[in-house]
Amino acid sequence: MSRDTGAGPDPGRAPVAFGLRAVPRLFEELQQPGSGSRRRALASLCGLMLDPERLHQTVRGGFLEQLKVLLKDEDPSVRGETCKLLHLLSGHSVGREALLSSSLLPPLSQLLDDQSSSCRTNVHRVLNRLTLLPAGADALLSLVPKLMLKLKEEEEEEEVQVLLLSTLSCVSRLDALPALSSDGVSLVGHKLSHRSPNVRREAAAAMMALSVPEDGKRQVCEKAVLPVVVGLLQEEDVEIQANAAGVIMYTVIITAGKQQCLDLDVVPVLLRLLSNQRREEDEEAQRRRRRKALVVYTLRALTSLAEAPDGRRLLLEQLPLLERQSEATEEDQDIQRAAQTLVRAVTWTP
Amino acid sequence: MLGGCFSSADTFHFLETVATTICLLPGRFGGPHIGTRPRLDSSASRHFPPERWRLLLPTTERTAGRTRSPAAPEPWRPAANTKKLRMNRHTATMETLCMTVVLSEEILMLNKSYQPQLRRTLLKYKDSRRSSGKAIAIKRAQEQCRAKTPEALQGRKHIDIQTDLYLEELSNVIVATDIECQTDAFLDRPASPLFIPAKSGEDVATQIEEGELFDFDREVQPVLEVLVGKTIEQSLLEVMEEEELACLMAQQRAFHELRNIHLAEVQHLQEKERRHSEEKERRIAQQKEVLKKERETAEKIAARAYTKQYLADLLPAAFTSLRTHGFFNDPVETDIETHFLPWLMDEVNSKLERRYAARELLESIIHEVAEKRLEQFKEPET
Repeated sequence: MSRDTGAGPDPGRAPVAFGLRAVPRLFEELQQPGSGSRRRALASLCGLMLDPERLHQTVRGGFLEQLKVLLKDEDPSVRGETCKLLHLLSGHSVGREALLSSSLLPPLSQLLDDQSSSCRTNVHRVLNRLTLLPAGADALLSLVPKLMLKLKEEEEEEEVQVLLLSTLSCVSRLDALPALSSDGVSLVGHKLSHRSPNVRREAAAAMMALSVPEDGKRQVCEKAVLPVVVGLLQEEDVEIQANAAGVIMYTVIITAGKQQCLDLDVVPVLLRLLSNQRREEDEEAQRRRRRKALVVYTLRALTSLAEAPDGRRLLLEQLPLLERQSEATEEDQDIQRAAQTLVRAVTWTP
Repeated sequence: MLGGCFSSADTFHFLETVATTICLLPGRFGGPHIGTRPRLDSSASRHFPPERWRLLLPTTERTAGRTRSPAAPEPWRPAANTKKLRMNRHTATMETLCMTVVLSEEILMLNKSYQPQLRRTLLKYKDSRRSSGKAIAIKRAQEQCRAKTPEALQGRKHIDIQTDLYLEELSNVIVATDIECQTDAFLDRPASPLFIPAKSGEDVATQIEEGELFDFDREVQPVLEVLVGKTIEQSLLEVMEEEELACLMAQQRAFHELRNIHLAEVQHLQEKERRHSEEKERRIAQQKEVLKKERETAEKIAARAYTKQYLADLLPAAFTSLRTHGFFNDPVETDIETHFLPWLMDEVNSKLERRYAARELLESIIHEVAEKRLEQFKEPET
């Protein structure tokens, strides 16, 4: 039997030709200006794209340029379906590369302001998947100001915000300056106190990416984001905690950050996190892996804090605990190394 | 009906038939109707009320006071000495014919398809009746000459009776029936009935029992396998794709975490380095400051010593120069110098000036005197 799904005659889908002719014929049908036939053809294409062979054929056959016309169609459902098709395409690496090399990004970015919300959601999904490629993140750098504008609008749904924030964090990891220059810190900081944990997690990740450059660190200190971040440290979700710890880790590298964090009394919290980890040794490997990030970030943050006299004082008291951490029984190399660094920093004398 | 098509039959025959038709029609249409007279109006009105269709048939009754046109024919009277026969149909034919002619003529006037002969005939009849009263009188006279039944004697009355063998009922009501005929609008030709040929041949039946064709459970297996297999394969593909993406993301996340850690360490070290270097810079700067200060202090001390030495013998020299410049002065002396002596001089000057003034005055006087004397001297000479 063929690899066709053999779906019955569905009135919402155009008929699919056999074998290799399926995709070209559907694209021919797409060129006709009739929104009903276009919608049906798009629905069939979406069904076909689940097959990697077809996807490959689509990408290699250079049919993507024809999608540009569809992105500007008047019917919002046609636009939404096209975005869904692009979303499926970007699920594979060839698709992502093809999407980048074709000139579909400008019309896609124009669709960010589209009226239909499903269309916008799909566009966000496509952009999010594009960031899996470093070249994709690179291409999206120019879109960052627009994305920041979108972030300002409150009426987006949660999923869109999550996607937006994750795209932003991926792009900012590559280069955080565009986001910083469009007032990223305050916007993302606002989202840190969102009611949905997904949004908070992504916002914390974005904040971590933003606080990598020096300017970002300074902004984080100035805009008083740190209290919120410290609040996030006490949440239950490991990811959120890890991201928050990452933010702190980056921020305390500069002196102002150190001062603020010490004022906020963050050292006991971090130590508590460490001891939590210590207790829950016998977890599964995956959770241990997720906690690993948290642990290492915490250790690094403490290392930086140990350079300040107040921090050093606090940590000196806890030295035995830290030394236990750096024992050779610790499996993870990174944690061990980090703990050793911490101990060294605490006991350093000029 | 009258106005119907004119065949090319004999006009007379036609008229006769017309007349008979009219006679035969029930009263409304002009059949034999006792007791009425036609109201023939030779006016130009073309309106034919039904009453006009009633024709006068010769009756024995004479009615007076009926409006009759002068052209209306006299009711036919049998002659006094003739047999009292009443011949309704045949004898009255002519009369009625005339009348019918009139009527029909008037009716047929409407009809365009007039035949010339008919026209002429009709016109002739019309003319003959429409002629002057003289012709009518002549006609009346002719009729009078005909034999008529004698008048009834006093105390007797004439009655009409039928003398035929078989009595006829004289009724003016003819049993007539209306028959209408109307052609329908054209109907579609109905569909021809299906031709079902008569059955021929033998009937044979067969029946497939269960389990004879195939065994369902066995045959369905491969089909099911394919179906289920395809579905599962497809779903597996999709799940694998998602898992691939999730793996990719997880890998990226792990990478990012590592990167973050190392980046953090790098930045931390950088920061430390920066701080250290800054500290060093500051210390060096501080040291430099200290050195500079020391140098300055040394210079200051040296300068102080030198100035002290320099200024040691400054004092007497200063005093001397001051005295020479007159800064130490005696006030009395100054006073004398500034006030007294100038006053003295002024006084002296004024005194001297007075003396001079006096001397000048004297001089001038002397001069005058001398001049006068000169003049005096000069005068006597002359």
